[in-house]
Amino acid sequence: MITKFFIGLKKNALLPFLSFIFAFFIGGIIIVVSDPVIMGQLSSPGKFLTSAASRIGNSYLAIFQGSIYDVNLARESGFFRGFYPMSETIVTAIPLLFAGLAVALAFRSGLFNIGAQGQFIFGAIGASYVGFAYELPPLIHVPLVLIAGIVLGGLFGGFVGLLKAKTGAHEVIVTIMLNYIASLFILWLLKTQAFLREERQDPIAPEVNSSAQLPKLLGGDLRLHLGIFIALGVTWFVWWLLTRSTLGFKFRAVGANSNAARTAGISVPFVTTATMFISGGLAGLGGAVHLIGTEYALTAGIAGSIGFDAITVALLGQATPLGTLLGALLFGALQTGSRTLLSNTGTPSEIVQVIQALIVLFIATPMLLKRVFRLKNSIESKSMTAKGWNG
Amino acid sequence: MKRANKVVVAIAAASLISSVAISPAANAATKQKVCVALDTAGINDKSFNQTSYDGAKRALKAGFASSIEYLPAKSNADYAPNIKKFLDKKCTLIIGVGFLLGDAITAAAIANPSVNFALVDGWSVGKNQKGITYKTDENSFLVGYLAAGMSKTGKVATYGGIALPTVTIFMEGYAKGVQYYNDVKNTKVEVIGWNTKTKTGTFLGSFDDTTKALQTSISLEQQGADVIFPVAGGMQATTAANSLKSKKSNVIWVDAKVMDTGKQYASVTPVSALKGLAEGVLAVTKEAYEGKFTSKEYVGTLSNKGVAYAITPAWSKKIPASLQAEVRDLAAAIAAGSIDVNNA
Repeated sequence: MITKFFIGLKKNALLPFLSFIFAFFIGGIIIVVSDPVIMGQLSSPGKFLTSAASRIGNSYLAIFQGSIYDVNLARESGFFRGFYPMSETIVTAIPLLFAGLAVALAFRSGLFNIGAQGQFIFGAIGASYVGFAYELPPLIHVPLVLIAGIVLGGLFGGFVGLLKAKTGAHEVIVTIMLNYIASLFILWLLKTQAFLREERQDPIAPEVNSSAQLPKLLGGDLRLHLGIFIALGVTWFVWWLLTRSTLGFKFRAVGANSNAARTAGISVPFVTTATMFISGGLAGLGGAVHLIGTEYALTAGIAGSIGFDAITVALLGQATPLGTLLGALLFGALQTGSRTLLSNTGTPSEIVQVIQALIVLFIATPMLLKRVFRLKNSIESKSMTAKGWNG
Repeated sequence: MKRANKVVVAIAAASLISSVAISPAANAATKQKVCVALDTAGINDKSFNQTSYDGAKRALKAGFASSIEYLPAKSNADYAPNIKKFLDKKCTLIIGVGFLLGDAITAAAIANPSVNFALVDGWSVGKNQKGITYKTDENSFLVGYLAAGMSKTGKVATYGGIALPTVTIFMEGYAKGVQYYNDVKNTKVEVIGWNTKTKTGTFLGSFDDTTKALQTSISLEQQGADVIFPVAGGMQATTAANSLKSKKSNVIWVDAKVMDTGKQYASVTPVSALKGLAEGVLAVTKEAYEGKFTSKEYVGTLSNKGVAYAITPAWSKKIPASLQAEVRDLAAAIAAGSIDVNNA
């Protein structure tokens, strides 16, 4: 029965869905095992099971409450205020979505872009400088900031593509190295006179001018900003690029079989460079939107682990634009919910990172899930893994 | 008998009510909810976050807080929403751990004038944001002096995580302490890793790069240093683990006592340079509890025990008694203000 239901799901969605369920299942076990009080009741199985079940239930309920709709907040300050967590979820998901799309696009062209982190950082640097150094009307300033993000991120990514096209340097190695360069570069940059705040020695740039900040959509303390429309627009653009444009066809052709693509007259070096430029541009745009959406001031930790979480998000989304959107929302919800999880139930918020990691683990090992759920070939190992070292 | 009991209870209850009624307004502060917004390294970082939250725990135990709570940050983007969460949970004193939270704390402090805010390693703003700062060059000066006195190779070293003012102040004080030892004893102990003239030195570039920390430790040993003072949070454990193995150097522990956050390294750690984050948080919490909260900065010094040094118990016999006495006298002189570490 269960198997039939799962097969009913679209084949693409099956693997992520099962991984998701399985990760939450194991996450539940970890929550119980890491709680000494519940483990102490092991001698009386009935009591143990009830308290374990209620602990797991409360924990996941807290994640839901902290990421979708908070009844307590609604009771105190009105129905609408209860959506505060959902606004936070979306705000957290926006930068993840941009960086996730960057990784997904590269995947489809057979490239493993580990460098979304560095490209994101460079996008944020560009956005920060254009944001605080100039005073312009918002209608000009915001687009200019976004373009700065795209260009800097794009160049930082395109450089990798160019290196690969001209010299064959593997993009995995190069992007990892460039991540280090980006995170050390930003440390240095924040110490330079141009980026120091007046009368401050700390490595933190001035806030961008209000004309460069993305307007909030809902008012009050809901932080949901205009970036959501940019994010949705870009998701659509990536979908269009991949499935409706000539360039996207070339991308996918190279991704499927670069030898065949070359024989068919597609310039592989061009596609490699173009893919990495657009991919870097997407991540850079993410950095820009993140900066002028919520952060305003550039710091060394501006990217957090967004560039790396993005790889997971793209994997979870099976490298499709829509899947990446859903993956980003899920991760945004988990991260936002972890706050309430710790605050309300005392369960360490790190459990959320464990769940995220488990999801990746299961997606990366489809054989394991096949065994567990006794599925036969209904899970396809989709050809979204990057090419090997000689690809 | 029963009736008598009831009467007693009634009287007790009545007196309780009246005592509540006439109690002064200061008691309104007794319901203090202290919430600590951490930086990114996690609650068990054996350093910054952990010791700051220990201050809140001690405040809870002492009755200055009725409940305490914390939220870790996974990235800088978590600062503002974490503080928002605290405001929603009706915290009365919100403490941000680290200057990076400054923008988020200040924004919240301006928007919520009735809530008290404090910023560790930060500054004061308006009437309800209190900076908590430390003169860690005072105790670093002492451990520098001690390191110079203990060095057999005539070379001592330091390195930092990131060149932040809160990090370099340790390194500067340490190097000045060595210099002071040289002046007094007419020796030439060298400091590797910090230059007091150019204000430049050795840095890892982060507070979590164990590989770089190990490389740096080994390289400092190879340059002949036999005492290393790592000012890089949890990375000191890497340096100490290396010292345990190489037996070429000893380590000076930073922020907390080595016996509290790195017991296994006590045999290579003669002294710890303490930054009383817990003391600062406790002092601010107490002040708010007593209804005396102001935005005047808290400055931890040797004289108010906000900063201190601690000889590891296992080492109290191994370090020459005369050297220990000299450091003790020096500490008293700095606390009394007769020696200024910046012009010694």
